[in-house]
Parts: sequence; C-alpha cells; structure tokens
Amino acid sequence: MSTTSEPEPEPEPASASSGFKVLPVLSTRRAAARHAYATVRRGLRSGDLRVLALALGIAAAVACGVGLFTDRVQSAMDRSAGDALGADAVIRSSTPLPADLRAQLRGIGMRTASTAEFPSVVTKVVTKVAANDVNKTVSSVDSEALANAAASATTDASTPGADSSSDASSGGDADLTQLSSIKAVEDGYPLRGQLLLSDEPFAPAHPASGVPPRGQAWVDAKLWTTFGLGNGAQLQVGSIALTVTAVIFDEPGRGSAFADFAPELLMNGADLDASGLIGPGSRVQYVEQLGASDAQLLAARKLELPRGMRLVTPKDARPELKQSLSRARQFLDIAVLMTLLLAAAAVALSARQYGLRMRDEIALLKSLGARRQFLLQSVLLQLGLLCLLAAGGGVLFGAVAQELLGRMVAPLLGVSLPWPSALPIAISFLVIALMLAGFALPPLFAALDAAPLRVLQRAVSSNSGARGGALAALAAVAALLWLQAGEVRLAVYIAIGATLAAAVLALLAWLLVRLLQPLRRRSGVAWRFGLGNLVRRGPDTVAQTVALGVALLSLLLVTVVREDLLNTWRGRLPADTPNQFLINIQPEQRAPLAAFFAQNGYANVPLLPLVRAHLTAINHKPVSAASFEDPETKRWINREFNLSWTDQFGSDNQIVAGQLFTAADAGKPLLSVEQDAAKRLKLKLGDTLDFDVAGQTYSLTVHDLRSVHWDSFKPNFFMMTPPGVLDAPATAMRAAAPVQWIGSFYLPKDAALEGGTASAASAPASASAPASPSPTAPTLARAPTAAHTVESADAAARGNPGTTASLAADAGAGSDAGEHRRRLLRELTRQFPNVTVFDLDAALGQVRGIVDRVINALELVLLSTLVAGLVVMLAVIEGSRAERVRETGVLRALGASSRIVLQGLLAEYAVLGLLSGSVAAIAAQGIAWVLAVQVFDLPYGPRPLLLIGGALAGCVIVTFSGWLSLRRVLQAAPRTVLAGGN
Amino acid sequence: MTDPSVRDAMPREAVIVAEKICKEIISGGSRLSILDALDLRIDAGESVAILGRSGSGKTTLLSLLAGLDAPTRGEVFLAGQKLSALDEDGRAGLRAGRVGFVFQSFQLLAGLTALENVMLPAELAGLRDAEVRARDTLDQVGLAARVTHYPHQLSGGEQQRVALARAFAAGPAILFADEPTGNLDVATGASIIEQLFAMNRSRGTTLVLVTHDQQLAARCARTVTLEAGKLIERGGLAAASSP
Repeated sequence: MSTTSEPEPEPEPASASSGFKVLPVLSTRRAAARHAYATVRRGLRSGDLRVLALALGIAAAVACGVGLFTDRVQSAMDRSAGDALGADAVIRSSTPLPADLRAQLRGIGMRTASTAEFPSVVTKVVTKVAANDVNKTVSSVDSEALANAAASATTDASTPGADSSSDASSGGDADLTQLSSIKAVEDGYPLRGQLLLSDEPFAPAHPASGVPPRGQAWVDAKLWTTFGLGNGAQLQVGSIALTVTAVIFDEPGRGSAFADFAPELLMNGADLDASGLIGPGSRVQYVEQLGASDAQLLAARKLELPRGMRLVTPKDARPELKQSLSRARQFLDIAVLMTLLLAAAAVALSARQYGLRMRDEIALLKSLGARRQFLLQSVLLQLGLLCLLAAGGGVLFGAVAQELLGRMVAPLLGVSLPWPSALPIAISFLVIALMLAGFALPPLFAALDAAPLRVLQRAVSSNSGARGGALAALAAVAALLWLQAGEVRLAVYIAIGATLAAAVLALLAWLLVRLLQPLRRRSGVAWRFGLGNLVRRGPDTVAQTVALGVALLSLLLVTVVREDLLNTWRGRLPADTPNQFLINIQPEQRAPLAAFFAQNGYANVPLLPLVRAHLTAINHKPVSAASFEDPETKRWINREFNLSWTDQFGSDNQIVAGQLFTAADAGKPLLSVEQDAAKRLKLKLGDTLDFDVAGQTYSLTVHDLRSVHWDSFKPNFFMMTPPGVLDAPATAMRAAAPVQWIGSFYLPKDAALEGGTASAASAPASASAPASPSPTAPTLARAPTAAHTVESADAAARGNPGTTASLAADAGAGSDAGEHRRRLLRELTRQFPNVTVFDLDAALGQVRGIVDRVINALELVLLSTLVAGLVVMLAVIEGSRAERVRETGVLRALGASSRIVLQGLLAEYAVLGLLSGSVAAIAAQGIAWVLAVQVFDLPYGPRPLLLIGGALAGCVIVTFSGWLSLRRVLQAAPRTVLAGGN
Repeated sequence: MTDPSVRDAMPREAVIVAEKICKEIISGGSRLSILDALDLRIDAGESVAILGRSGSGKTTLLSLLAGLDAPTRGEVFLAGQKLSALDEDGRAGLRAGRVGFVFQSFQLLAGLTALENVMLPAELAGLRDAEVRARDTLDQVGLAARVTHYPHQLSGGEQQRVALARAFAAGPAILFADEPTGNLDVATGASIIEQLFAMNRSRGTTLVLVTHDQQLAARCARTVTLEAGKLIERGGLAAASSP
C-alpha cells in the first residue's frame, strides 16, 4: 500500500515501543482517509470497484431519472386534468363572484378569468334587420337535454321578441333560430389549455390568440353547419348582432353534462350587458377560472365561499380521473421499485465480490499491524467516496437522461412535461444510502473479519456477519419498499408478490438449466464450453435468469401481452360493431332519419326508445340520495334513469334470476333489472319501484335480474319494461310518456361508401349489425346516467357535436374514407341539428388517452428495469471476468481460434438470454391466461409466438450485452495462462 | 517404438528454432530486458529442460517458443512456421493438435468435465475420434472412473493428471511443461513426473520443460539455463542418466 509508507506526524505510543513505523500510520484517521482514497482510486482503475460503482451509479440514475420522470409525467397528467377543466381550479356558482372575493383570490396571487354560461336562442341574420324583427324561439325538435336546459333558464325573459319558430332542420337560407349555449368570456380565458379555432368546420385548426373581440362571436361546427354560416355572417344574440369570425375546433373546460350538447357560441364578456340576455331570474352558471399553484389552492380552500359557490379542482371535477391517476401512480411505483430491487441485487453482488477480494488485503494489513478501527474507518470512507462519486454521477446522469427522455416523449404524449420538483433527487440519495447500508456494508464488514492467518493459509475464512448481512439486506428491502410504495400494506403486498414471482421464476430457471445438461453432449466445442459455463455457474445462472426474466416479463406484460389481450377482446367484437351512436332523436324524426340513412347506403339503422325517469320509491318507501351510502348510488338517485322496453333480449343479456319477458308480458308493469344495478339498489325479485316520468308515476315490479356484457358495444339498459307500459297511448288519466330514440350504426373508417357499389353494398350489412336479429329485439340501450359506453363518449364529445365531427374528421383526415365520414356527419348534423352523434372510436380514443400515457411512461420505466436487470448480469460477469480471461487464454493456448472463443461466449449468453426470455414468456403467458380467463372472461390459448418472440428478444438483448461487456476478454493474450493462478 | 539411442543418432529436424530473440517490457517507465538476443534450437523428439532462477525469464521464453507471446525482436520458428508471419489466430491454428501444454496451475476449464477437458485439444484439431482418444488417455493416467467429474471435484494430483491426459490426447508433436509439479506435494509431484516422462517416451514427443528443479531438469536429454537473459547450454549430460 503506497499510503502506509507515508510519514505521519503523531505516532502512537504503542508504535513507538514496537519499533514498527507502519503501525502509527495505520492507526490514524488521516491514514484511513488516505488508504480509502488510494483504495478507491486503485479499485476504479483496476476494475475491482468499477462494477460496484456502476451498480450504485445506475441505481442512483434509475432512482433519480425515473423519479424525476414520473414526477414530471404525474405533473403533466395533473396538468392535463387541469386542461380538461380549463384552469387549475374553478369556482362554480349561480351568481356572479363577489368583487371582494375575487380581490381576495387575486390577493393570494391567483389569476382569474370569469365566464358566464347560459342557454339562449340565436338567430341567423340574413339581411341587416332590427333586432326586434328577428324571430327567436326554441326549436320544436331540440333535444331533451336542451329542453331541460331551456326549462332551467328563463329563456323567454332573456330572449326578447321570441314569438315564432322556424324549421331548424330545413337547412335553407331563411332566418333560422337555434337554442344555443352562450358563453361570455373575459380576457385571459382559458387559463389552462388551448382554445383552437378554424376558419370553417373541419378545417385545420390554429390556437386562438385571445378571446373573441367585442362585437364578434366564435361558434362551434354544429351552429355553423346548422345556419350554413360563412365568415363574417351575423348572428343575433339577444339585442345585439355579433359577427362570426371563427369556428371553435376545440375548447378546454367544456362541460360534460348533456345540456352542453347544445351548439356553442363564444362571445366577449364585455358585450354581455348590451345583449340584454341576463336579467332578473336568469339562471346562469358563473364559472370563475383560477390559475393557481398548489399552495395557493390550499390557501383558497381556507377562504369562506358564499353559499351556493363551490371550489372545484381538476380531481374534484373528474372523480374517475382521480382514481386513474392514483392507479397509474401505483403502477409506476411498482415499476420503479422493481428497477430498484434489481439495482440493489446488482449492488449486493458486486459488493460481495469486492468484499471477497478485500479479504486478502485486509488480512495482509492486519498481519502488518492495522487495527480494526483503522480498517473500519477506511471501509466506511471508501463507501462514502463511492456514494459521492457514483451516486452523484448517477443522479446527474439520471437527471440528464430523463430530460432527454422527456423531450423525446413529450410530443409522443401530446403534452409538455413540466419542470420536476427536487424531491426525487433527495429520495435518490436516500435510496443509495439505503442500498449501501443494506447491501454493500455487510460483505465489507465481513471482509473486516478476515483473519491475519489468511496470509499464510488462504483457505482460512470467516462466516461471521452472514446473519447480520441478511438482516441488513432485509431491512433495506423493507425500507425501499416502504419508501417507494408509500404505504405499508402495498409494500407488504409487493414484497410477497415479488418473493413469489422470484421463487417461481427461479424454479423455472433451475428446471431449464437442468435441461441444458444433456444438450452439452450433442454440441460442438464452442457450444459445450458455453453451456458448460452456464451449468457450472448454476446458482449464478439462475440469479441472472431471474433478474433478466423479471425485467423482460415486465416489458412483455406491458407491451405484447397487453396488446394481445386487447386484440383478443377486439377480435371478439364483430368487425361491424357500431361505432357511431345517435341520441336525442325525436319520435317524428325516425322516418326522415331512416330515409337519410337509406339514401346513404345504410338500409337498417335500428332505433331504440328511451324514457327518462326519476326513481322515487322502492317498495313504496320514498328514496333519496340519503337512502344510500355508496356515492355512486347517490349519484344515480340524483340523476335520471333511462328506461326502455323490449320483449326480446339480445345474447349479451343473460338471465340471472326469474325469467325474461315474453310477448305475453306486454302491457304488464314489470321491470327487468341488470344485476349490478339490483345489487346497488338492494333489489330482489318482486320488489316494486316507483318511477316519475314527466310527472306521471309508474309502479313497476322486479320481474327478473339479468347480467349484461357491457363490452359488446351494443346499447343496453339497466332497467327494461315489456312493450305497452311506457309506450302506452295517452288516456284521459295519463299523458303518454315522453320518448326519445337512440340509434347506432357502423361507419367504416377505411372504405368510401359513396359512389362505390362494393362498399355501398357492404354498408347496409354493417348498419344492421348492431341490432339483434329481430328489428324489435334491440330495444336495449344503456342509460346515459350510468352507462359506460355513453358516459365514456360523453367525456369525449363533451356535448359538442362539433367536437364529434371534428374528431371524426381528424381521424380520417386526408383520406377518402375521412372525407366520406366528414360529409356524412356534416350532412347528418345539418339535416338533424338536434341529433347528437357520438363517434365512439374517437370517444374511446380520448378516454384511453390517459391510460395510454401511463402505459407509455410505464414502458419507459420498464426499459430502466431491463437496464437494471442487465446490470445484475454485468455484476455476475464482472465477478467471473478474471476466470474468463484465464479460460480464454487456455483455449487460445490449446489452439482455439478467436472464432471458437467468440462462439463459446456468444453461445453462453445466447442461451442465458433464451432462458431469461423463455422464463419471462412462460410467466407472461401464465399471467395473461389468468387475466384473460379470470378477469376479462376472454378465450385465451397458448401463444407460441409470444414464447418464441420472448425467448428471441431475451437472446438478442443478453447476447449483445454479454458481448459488449466481454469483448475485451476475447483479446486476452494466451500468455496470461502462464501467469499463474488457479 | 524407436530405441532412444538409435533415434538420438539420427539426423533430426528442428521443430523449434529461436533466432536472436529479445523480449523487453516497459516497467515503471523504463525499459527492462528479459531475454537478450537468445538463440535456441530444439530438434524433434528432444527433451529439453530450461532452468533458471525465479524471474530469470523461463516462462517468458516458454511463451515465446510456444507462440503464446511475440518477441520484441528476433524470430521464432515452430514446426517450421515463422511465428511472426502469423497472427494470433494463425498461431493458435498452428498449435492446435501439434502442441500440448502442462501448466503449473493445471488450467483446466472449470465448466467442463474431465473427459471434456481432455477432448478439447483433439476437438480443436478437428480429430473425429476425440472422445475415444480422451477416454484412452484418461485411462492411461488412471482416471477412467473420473471422466464425468468436474475439476473442482478432483484433487490437485488428479487435476494435473487430467491436464497430462489433455496434453497428450491429441498426439502433439511438441509438449511444453511449465513447472508441472509447482503446485503439488513431493510425492504427488514425483508421480506426475513419472507419468509425464513415460508418456513422452512412449509417444516420442518433443518435450520442453521449464523448471527450477535441478533434479527434474536432469531427467531431460538436454538442459539449458537462463541467466541474465541469455541461455547457457549445459549439454546432454542428463540424456545418459535418463531412464
């Protein structure tokens, strides 16, 4: 040791008496520091410490990089949720925000922007006429939602001069009126997200530079189409005429209620007073948008809001999003944890190897008189130095890598990733400290116990500290789990899951290694050498296979298996499963609508009846939201149920209790209830439910319970009656229930229908597909109040038919099919302006957006997991590097060419990769089968391609990594074989 | 089998020729000469011991003669081939099947069984009967019952016997032995040496033995001593005394 010979100013008395100058040098702290520095420097140069440093560095890089990246993705998701609201938070109220409250909000640093939303009639001005000459009224064919909205607003008070009506569906150039959703906004709107405008419907969009200037209006595609507007057209809004200058392509913060399906007009808030639209009794929803930091939001929550005002954050606004984000975070945490555990395994392996190599040196130092305290100080300082160098470097690398990754991913995700917080960096250092304490210290402490006798007898070793080492490792794993999982229960679940998974993978790996044994006899020298290495290093091989297998399994599950399950699910749906849903069809529109579809090649678009009803009593006991504890059930009770009728159910409805209706039940007040709804409402056969339908009470008896395959994409209802109940003709005692109709059809994405006989011929078949075989059968439609299908679409369409059309246009832009879709939807919207079309493909696409972002992030995190798995492999490789150099020398000396040596090496890693990939693929296959059969109820058989692909992917990745790390070994000169050593 | 005395009398072909070979290394920033313009000729069937003190360059000389390393200057001819004209793979190809080794530290491949270790040189030489040869040779060294054992399952003596079997299995023309008893106790070492010379005799292999043991060197027909990077020929005194 070079440092041991350096002079030291204050020799200890013991050394003075002993006469050995080396003793006082070794017993001082400075000497320990010098020794530690020299050892680390030498270790890094020689490679002894390089792998440990690399393992620590990668752990730090992964912890930091992934931490920062997930932090940013999480923030982006939160921000995305905020964009959906149009602000960081909003205050909703039915009265304007008091000026003092706004001042308070601004006082704590918030930005605010006020909007006022209300329904009102808008009239197209053909020629310049006086405001009071314009006819304004509610169209007779407006949707129920619009009717509801209109009913809730004092339309007559706010639309002076509304005294006649015109046919909104005529599409002519005559003056037209349309009940619309007016939104008056002030400068700054929207505070988050972007308002996108286009010059005409479905044209390319561009961001708005502000809000509509005074005297101007921006309208959505539906209003534009309904009126046949052009740029510069005039619309009468209340007492003023506004010039239309743009089409709203997309708008953040659009409401998700059905009332929002009304066409929208955006105007400047400063024009509001002049319009005279808001007067006493007007029911307007005021929304104060808030731009605020988390801290400011916390402060705002402490403010006392006047009665009727509610502070809504993105998560409050979208409870389902809150759950999604929470789950997403858990998935990411688990992925990060897996990466860290693999990195910890790499640290443990490399530290153990370093500890073993240190034993000889420590024995020698002890024999020369080094005290334990000196050695302990030196070891601790070595680890400290390593921590600073490796972890510091790793954190830096992780930070840079995540920045580069972020730049690459941001366009992919469609969001800009915000600047991360410093917390992940602090956590990274904590993680590294934990890893050092749990995995690196024990083997080094064990090395401190090396007996001085070892200098004479190398076989002398000590097993002391093995138990302590295991305990330290366990404690470190527990701490890592807790730190990353955030809660004890999840940490315990992960620990149990990880242990079980590792045990199963290890068993699989062990079995595969055993299978290699007989193969050796049948292979050439290179393969035998490679396979021999794997078999001989059995435990190492199993450890490497498990580490790499875990990483590959994670990747396979998230990429291949997920896609496979999705495809299986999609495959179960017919190709012509309806992807367009129509709602708000008025009874008198059924025939014209059928004619419209027939003209366009859709011979049979089934229409289904729908009656909205409030549940008022169960078994004659009045019910309200307070009757139920479950929040979702409360929501159901507060909203309307959608009832329908049928006497023939589709195959996606299965009887659970009782019997399905037959034709003989027509006219009987019976009710068929979906089983989950029955469970939620605590219903059983024979129970009586009272429904209020437009002031009329219907008492219906539960006749049967049924299960519904909601993923069939066919419209289904929770509650059904036999025919002749809800559609009974009006009598002197009872008015007929107001019915609207819904429909669905398949609009091909990739085939032009118009003008092509083949495609036109296929269209009718497509159109009839969503229906059950009998035209009377498909009287099932899931209630929008609680429907997956419709409610999902609801989020996408945001009640904006223009958005629906825009999405459709966007999806097919540039293609004939896209043009066909645009034309068909545009014409449908023009002829039936009150009918709302959901493009379910687009709707589902948007709903899946957040999930896809999580999956993308997860895939990237799992790539880090793969890197960590490869580092484990590297740690094992490094442990055997010296032996590999010697063996390569022997082979060369005996006459082996470079090709044979390389073949042996590649054979070893190819087989290791095959083993890892196979283990991962087998496990992925098993998990996929369990998911498919137990969770998703999908038929799922063996996937040979998954096995072959997984094994090959493992083979390629591991072979390449093995070659990279050992390519220098191939250049080892054969003379090394004469250098001695065993 | 040719009588050794008759064989010695016949004109022989040189299988190893070293011409003015030098080996220098850079150590601590300065040039250190290990071998200095050394000449050596070894004929087919000869047994030559290279003696010398620790650090005299014996092993370096062996590595140069076997083509495991290249000299700084000078030429080495092995089996008539000029080694400097060959690259690493060329030299390996030249050794395959023609050159056998017995190392001080056995140098068995831990991942291969005794049989697989012994088969290795024959396989590398492309001999189809590698397994038969390996089994026969293992039988000759008394390890027929240990063919499926791995090196770590064998004692030091057994490992060196496997190494001996490996050295002879492919029927090499030249055998290099580097301190073959260095890691063995006296009795085991003596037994190994007996087997080495017996097999060498029976197969007529050219033997180049590096040792610092005078007695062991004396069993070779010719002894050369390395001193200060130069060879001092001791003559064939051992030839007469060899059994």
